[in-house]
Amino acid sequence: MTSIRIVDLEKRFGATKALSDVNLVIEKGEFFTLLGPSGCGKTTLLRTIAGFYRQDRGEVWLGDERVDEVPAYKRDTGMVFQNYAVFPHMTVFENVAYGLRVRKLSKADIDRRVAASLKSVHLEGYEKRTPDQLSGGQQQRVGLARAMAIEPRVLLFDEPLSNLDAKLRVEMRDEIRAVQKQLGITAVYVTHDQEEALVVSDRIAVISAGRVQQIGAPWDVYKDPANLFVASFVGKVNLLDAELGASAGAGLRHARAGGLDLVVPDPMNPSGNSVKLAFRPEDAVEDPSAENENVLAGIVADSSFLGAVASLDIDCSGKRLVIERHRPRAGEVPPPGSSTSFAVPPRCLMVFDGATGERLRPATSSTDGGWK
Amino acid sequence: MSARSLSSAPRRADIWTLVTLGGFALVIAFLVYPLADVFRYSFTDKETGVLSLSNWAEFLSKKYYIRAFLNSMFVSLTITFFSVLLGVPLAFFTTRYRIRGSALLNTVAVLALLSPPFIGAYSWITMLGRNGFLRTALASVGIQLPPIYGALGIILADSLQYYPFVTLMTAGALTTIDRSLEEASENLGASSYRTFFRVTLPLVLPSVTGGALISFMMSLSNFGTPMIIGGNFLVLPTLAYNLFTSEIAERPGMASTVSLILMICAAVVIGLQQWASSRRKYASMLVNRPIRKDLGGLSSVLAHLVCYAIVALSALPLAVVVFFSFKNTNGPVFVPGFGLESYRQIFFDVPKTVTNSFLYSFAAVVLIASVGTMLGFVVARRRTLAVKFLDPLLMIPYIVPGTVLGIGYIVAFNRKPFMLVGTATIIVMTYFIRRLPYSVRSAASILKQIDPALEEAGINLGSPPGRTFRTVTLPLMKAGIVSGAIMSWVTSMNELSASILLYVGRTMTMPIKVYLSVLDGYFGTASAMSTILLVVTGIALYLVNRWTGKSGASVVVAA
Repeated sequence: MTSIRIVDLEKRFGATKALSDVNLVIEKGEFFTLLGPSGCGKTTLLRTIAGFYRQDRGEVWLGDERVDEVPAYKRDTGMVFQNYAVFPHMTVFENVAYGLRVRKLSKADIDRRVAASLKSVHLEGYEKRTPDQLSGGQQQRVGLARAMAIEPRVLLFDEPLSNLDAKLRVEMRDEIRAVQKQLGITAVYVTHDQEEALVVSDRIAVISAGRVQQIGAPWDVYKDPANLFVASFVGKVNLLDAELGASAGAGLRHARAGGLDLVVPDPMNPSGNSVKLAFRPEDAVEDPSAENENVLAGIVADSSFLGAVASLDIDCSGKRLVIERHRPRAGEVPPPGSSTSFAVPPRCLMVFDGATGERLRPATSSTDGGWK
Repeated sequence: MSARSLSSAPRRADIWTLVTLGGFALVIAFLVYPLADVFRYSFTDKETGVLSLSNWAEFLSKKYYIRAFLNSMFVSLTITFFSVLLGVPLAFFTTRYRIRGSALLNTVAVLALLSPPFIGAYSWITMLGRNGFLRTALASVGIQLPPIYGALGIILADSLQYYPFVTLMTAGALTTIDRSLEEASENLGASSYRTFFRVTLPLVLPSVTGGALISFMMSLSNFGTPMIIGGNFLVLPTLAYNLFTSEIAERPGMASTVSLILMICAAVVIGLQQWASSRRKYASMLVNRPIRKDLGGLSSVLAHLVCYAIVALSALPLAVVVFFSFKNTNGPVFVPGFGLESYRQIFFDVPKTVTNSFLYSFAAVVLIASVGTMLGFVVARRRTLAVKFLDPLLMIPYIVPGTVLGIGYIVAFNRKPFMLVGTATIIVMTYFIRRLPYSVRSAASILKQIDPALEEAGINLGSPPGRTFRTVTLPLMKAGIVSGAIMSWVTSMNELSASILLYVGRTMTMPIKVYLSVLDGYFGTASAMSTILLVVTGIALYLVNRWTGKSGASVVVAA
């Protein structure tokens, strides 16, 4: 069990900066996810930790050891690859034993550890199979068993589920999570799938354009995004350009977004009156009454029934907004063309700086900060 | 992730740094150094010995030289034309329609392609030469044929040898076109005729061009065929050879100039080929492989006729050679009856020639496979600045015809520090260097199909780079390396154009013996020796087939 520390890291490929100013501390035994769109630098960061890339600036620490000059094969990190990278010319047993043989373990130890690793990924009895006899999911289990078998200081996952079908992905992610907790090993997990990140992680670093945008628990990243990028990358969000107006009392403020008059949390130190407002589709209140503020009316442009929720695409004075209705009952999904109305509670509206996209938090308690 | 190709090389020196350095040493000693001599000779005045353009001025001013250049262009272009004319229909019919025995047709075509580069020439002489049996037979019924010596003979022999390049590359493209593309065209209302010309042909055109350019390249640098059947019709390789070896007026400077002109032509052609193949990006999303259709009635008969006629014509010279090898001879004269006399002569009179050929090719192949694989790894996986310089240097032999390399070697290795002329080493090095770029390229392309993540997995699990290469990369490359090595062995066994300049009595090889026997009119010995070479080539092709489960065809194209 080892912590990982990244200090002022910078990595360039030719003229392009793949990573800059990356500072992270990943605690012992933590399941830490690097989340971001493709090309954001998350894989580069993982490969720098593994030693496949040498950073241009900054430090990488595994526990108390600074590993900048340690070649990849001496770093003792167990990596699980996106396309499995199971050796096609070896049996399942030989694959899992590979790293143990490199470490010159006794035959008895190798047998024992291979068996234990295969058991924890539910592949007992598959020792003699070759990879071409395995499904994608099974191959990835071999990849996981192989990485675990060497009892590495940290486990590194490079989008391990992206080549699997949807059902298997859910199954495997739960299994990865279970194995990691059982071993208590530090894990760094790269993914572009925000749902996957929310489910498996202890903490998430959201990365964009080579920079860490926010580090936090899944709850914080989703409910309290640090900037517009995090808000829109993690989960769905409705965005409105708005001008701040006069105070509305009780830590609230008026804002005008196009033709809509809204009341929003009064932000601390806005750099100007031009802001962006955001709210999540599930935060719209279905049944607006007189007590509710921010009641919006519009025409349903499109509606889709997704089982647990119905998603409505609503045209509000020329602005398209998406809201969700939970557990819709028969006749509750309005057809396109019908008019409807909903409310957005002020505390559900997040305010961002219009120019920088940085979050402008209210002076009083954070929006929706606790369990409702 | 695209960044992977930029995978920054480790800063520490490892085994691959050593390989890169070794690659540079090899290229400088056995390529740059001898070719520098060719340059030096070409730009040195023969009288005064000072730097001068006199050789070039002479080349451009004398009809004799210009004619050889034009001859080269003429025969190469004509051969290319016929290669396409024969190669494309054969490829289309065998890949798109059910042709009985198409596997056999394929094998025979590849055998013709890989046969020693002059068997065709002298076989046509035995058929249509001055006393050729076909000519005599036809003359007896009143049909007079034009003389075979000269351009006609070269074109005949080489077209029938090189068309399989076009066939193989075109067939390769035709079998990897997604069937859905043609189906889409027909679904949109195009007739199958229109579909062929608007969809299929444009998709395979880059491959046809690629095959045609290889044919051009091979005929341009071919030495054996024009030497045997060319008569007074000089082309650039034979001109260079004559200028260099002529006992009356040895002209190394002029021979070097001709060599450089050959290399320039070859470089232009290679450039065109690279350009053509860089445009071949169509066959990427292969979902539905094309299927062979059944042809009915007359069209089936016609298609079979075309395919069998083409392949039979190219197999004819080989068959004639095998036939004559079993005919009894008395010195240079064939006498009635059949026997193993010609083979007996080889094994009793020149057994060393046979053992030399096997020994030298074997030694060369060991070098080619091991060095080529390691350099291929460096080229494919370690794109350091040094490797980016090394890569194009390694490709130089592509544009150096055998004759040119031979001239360079004689000049450079006939003095200190490398006194190699007359040794077996120089022959082995010739085979090795001539084949090296193919081996490096083939290793690199095998590596491109091996996910780098596999090697990273090995490294990540604690295995150092050398051990990872041995335990992960090499086993995955094995099939490709072995089949490539067998192909290299075949080409080394059949090498003539460089070794003809470098051999001495005790380092004579089979192709040289065949060539000399043909010159002396000992067709029996030549036929028997050629038959041995053919059988060896056939066995090698069979082995490649067994080893990779692919036909030798795909290996030829890959190489």
